[in-house]
Order: sequence, then structure tokens, then C-alpha cells
Amino acid sequence: MELQVEAKIGMSRKWDAREAGREVAETAIKDLTCPPDFFLLFATIHYEKYGGFQEFLNGIWDVLPEETPLVGGTVTGFINNYGCFSRGASGLAVSSPSIDVAVGVGKNTKRNPHRAARQCAEMIQNNLKRSPYKNKFLLNFISGPVMPSIPGVGQKKYIRSGFVSKFAIKALGLSQALVQKGLGREDEIFEATVQQLPDYKMILGTSMDDHRGMKNYQFFNDKILTNAVVNLGIATDLDLDVLTTHGMKETDLHFTITKLGAQNHAICKINHQPAVPELLRLLDWPEGFLTEETMMHTILYYPISLRRNGRAVPVVMPLIMKDSIFVPCIIDDGEVSILTVSGKDLVNAVKENLHFFEGIQPEFGLFSACMTILQTLGDKTNIVQEELCKYFKDKSFLLFYSAGEGTYSPTKDITYANMSFNTAVFGHKTR
Amino acid sequence: MKDDPIAEVLDDLMRLDDILACMVARRNMISVMPSSEGFKPEVNQIWDNIHRAMDDVFGVIGAYSQIGLGEMEFRLQDYEVLFYVFPDTENALVAIVPALANKGLLEVELENARREILRIMEGPKKESTPKNNTEQVLTASG
Repeated sequence: MELQVEAKIGMSRKWDAREAGREVAETAIKDLTCPPDFFLLFATIHYEKYGGFQEFLNGIWDVLPEETPLVGGTVTGFINNYGCFSRGASGLAVSSPSIDVAVGVGKNTKRNPHRAARQCAEMIQNNLKRSPYKNKFLLNFISGPVMPSIPGVGQKKYIRSGFVSKFAIKALGLSQALVQKGLGREDEIFEATVQQLPDYKMILGTSMDDHRGMKNYQFFNDKILTNAVVNLGIATDLDLDVLTTHGMKETDLHFTITKLGAQNHAICKINHQPAVPELLRLLDWPEGFLTEETMMHTILYYPISLRRNGRAVPVVMPLIMKDSIFVPCIIDDGEVSILTVSGKDLVNAVKENLHFFEGIQPEFGLFSACMTILQTLGDKTNIVQEELCKYFKDKSFLLFYSAGEGTYSPTKDITYANMSFNTAVFGHKTR
Repeated sequence: MKDDPIAEVLDDLMRLDDILACMVARRNMISVMPSSEGFKPEVNQIWDNIHRAMDDVFGVIGAYSQIGLGEMEFRLQDYEVLFYVFPDTENALVAIVPALANKGLLEVELENARREILRIMEGPKKESTPKNNTEQVLTASG
């Protein structure tokens, strides 16, 4: 009998962490004829309250064959062959006669992202350098942002006071270095990883909780980590490709960033004016419109197209401190467009993305997508799932929602974005 | 009500932090409530007002569900009430959530619950009705 690629989705909706872990592993591997070559594992943050993630992983290892390479972490939600979920756990187990796998880990990503990226990429490089397979893939999965708690203020997305903001900007830097709460710095890690592994096609995702940005965990074999990057490296004779689409459109609203701060993470001035009042003027929003409560329902839906090393970087504006806008990645100054996106645009972005892969007969697929898309589409996320089912038919796919995602391929370079769909399809070229 | 599989679906919803209350209901009648802990206490103070408003909304659902009304919602003070209508009926899955909850994430699970309840209603004699899609997972080839 000719051995074939086997890819199976595991899933659990049980609340108890250990039972859920067991069920995810059982459902993923029960129909495999060979032990899995790797296991990707994603779970929502709920298990923290129902036994904890160590118990969750213990449940996985009650079932999963020893030494199976495993990476993953907490995510906001996921889509697989069975539906869309913002609670539960899902895994992807793959077994193939023509695949080599390595996993890597790097720690202290928020304090020293470059070192973490290097450590993690070296593990992949060293373990796959003798692989005979020329097609190489990497999942770069990184601890996402965690809102720092500012003394006297708490964990806020919007700080109106100028005095507190000045203090908070300094505190953010300290918090990042000392207690590793703050930006995920996934863009820096991704860039560093690409520099080290330029021949790999990559998909970037970040670990999150239920959209609150309070905590997240990464899984590396039998360990639970925080502030870590975990990599899954694959060398295979399967054809594979990656692509990012986002569906965001430029409006006729433009501005120029004239002053950056906080190591190029903060837009301090636009059009030579304090950034926030000028942005409100451009959007025709009244002063005082933005509050901690309205942030979630307003500004997140007006992404902006920034620039980084000549590339367009569409991102949301998740944090405002008095007159400065914080963005999730390092940016350059210059001209910026305000973007707009609708639910229909988001669904079209998925269709456009899958259209690109029509020349591949898929064996399995992996996706990262922005958690704001899940928040935006809500139960209409099922439309996305139906599109994915149409493309993959009976083949397995797993999409996880994160906060900062992207792709890289040697031919398409880095795409880092928010509000995007990022696809990796493994299969056989048909044309 | 203890062994009611629909009540078990509602129990699952009640475990989510931001679901303050949920039920399967129609005008002037709550058909199924969660079996375990009931509603979260903060709903009690506003329940009478919400209940009255719900009955008015069910009047609209009754009038329009036959022509495809699928969802409704209203906001009352600091709460939102979401209605997921069972197609072609006057019944809906109803959830009360805080007005500023991450509604998109909740909507995903409310839709899953509606589908699960529909499956239960369509096959009431099927003993092996999957709780939380597990059976579906076990039988489908991923």
C-alpha cells in the first residue's frame, strides 16, 4: 500500500482542561495509520479557569505518541472543518512519508525579540539542514501583546490625561523590559526570522486570549510558556505556497506622519499637529468621541496603511495615550492612508486568497487571521468557514485568530498586517 | 429539566463570562432555561423591564420569522438582548449580555448553540445527540 499524506483535525468542546486535551488528541490521531509527524494545537483561554493549561497539555500527552513535535498556544478562536468556535480547542495532526519536521523555541520575546528569534530559528535550521526535501515551511507563532497595568490607571486602551500618558509611555518601556507586558513585537521577530531562514515560506501568527489582551500562553512539546516564540519547521516534497489578503480599501483620507515616538511605535504628530485631535478632525469625529468604551467599536474599524522599509503595512490603532496613537509594529514616517473595510470585503478577501491556490490540489491548510475579523463578522464567520470547506472539501484545514499576522515567501517578501487572512496550503500542483 | 439536552446547551453558554442569561423563549413563554445555576445575579435588577421588552420583540419575530427574520437585538440601559430566531417559528434563543461585551465572539457561540438546539429539535428521539459537536467531530473525516 502506498503511503499517503494524512492530515486530521482534532477538536474538543469539553470544559475540563484535561478531558479536552485528551479529546483533541484522540480525535486527531484516531484515524491516522501512522503516528503523526507533528501536532499543531490551539485552544481558547477558557481552559485557564477549568483546570489550567498544564492539565490541558497533560491530557494531550495522555494520548499523543511520545516525542511527537508539538507547538501551538492560546488563540481568540478558530475555524476548522467542523465550524467556527470562540471556545474550545483544536489540533492538526499530520503524518506523511515525505516530510521532515523540527520545532524551535525562543524566550523573552518582549524583552529581547531578536535573541528569541535567533534561538528559535537556529533550532529549525540545525534540525532541517540535512533534509533532502527542498520545499520549506515555517509557522512562526509568537506571544501576542499584553496590556500592561499602569499604577493608578490599570489596563486601559485609552488614556486621556496628558500627565498620565507621559508617565504611561515611560512605564510602557519599563514594563516591556522588566515584566514583559506590552507590545508583542511579533513584527521584529518575524523580520529577524526571515533574515535567518530566507528560503522558507512562512506564516506568522500570535498567541492571544479572548480579545482582551490580558494574557496568552504558548505550547512547546509538554511545556507551557509565556512571552515565547515557537516555530514549526517543515521540509517536504509537497508543493506549498503562502499568501496574505485583507480586503481593506483606501479612502480619500490621507495624512502625513510628521513625528514618531516610543521607538517608532507611536504616532505623535500628523500634519504637524498633535496626532489624536488631527485624526478626529480628519474622520469628522467630535472631540471626546473616543473613550475606553467606544475604542472597541470605532477606531478598530478604521485601520491605517503605514509604511515599513518600503512595504505597505495595514494596521489597526489599538492604544491611545492623550495625543499619541500607538500601533502594534515599528513604522516609518511619511504619507498614510486611512482604510476602510466591510464584512463583504473581508469575505471577498478569503475568496481572493483561495482563488490564488486553485492550481494546488490541497492535502491540508493552515491559516492565521486577525481576531478583529472574528469580532467584526461574529456569527457570519460561518460564511468564511463555508468558503474554506468549498476549497478543501474533505481535506483538513485549521484557521486560528490572532493579533498580528503575516506571511513571507522568497518571491513575495514579507507581508505583515492586521485585519488579514494568511494562508499556507500544502498539496500537489495541478498546473 | 435536568436531562433536557437543550438545557445543557444553555448551561454551556452560561459558563461564558459575558452571557448573563440565556433561554429558549417565545412570546409570553420561556420554554427552556439553563438547568444548573440559572441567570447571573446582576440581571435580576433589570429582569422585569427586559422581560417586558422581550415580549414586544417576540411580537415582531412572530410577524416576520416566516419571511426570513433571523436575528434581532435591543439595548436596554447597560445590557443588550440578542435574539437568534429558529427558522419559520416564533421561538428564539435569547441571550442577555453586557452592552460593551465582545459581542462578535459571543455571537459565534450563540450561533453554534442555535444550530445545536435545532439539531436536537429535529431529532428528539436520537439518544446519541452530540453534546457540543463532539459526535460530529468523531464521525467526520477531517
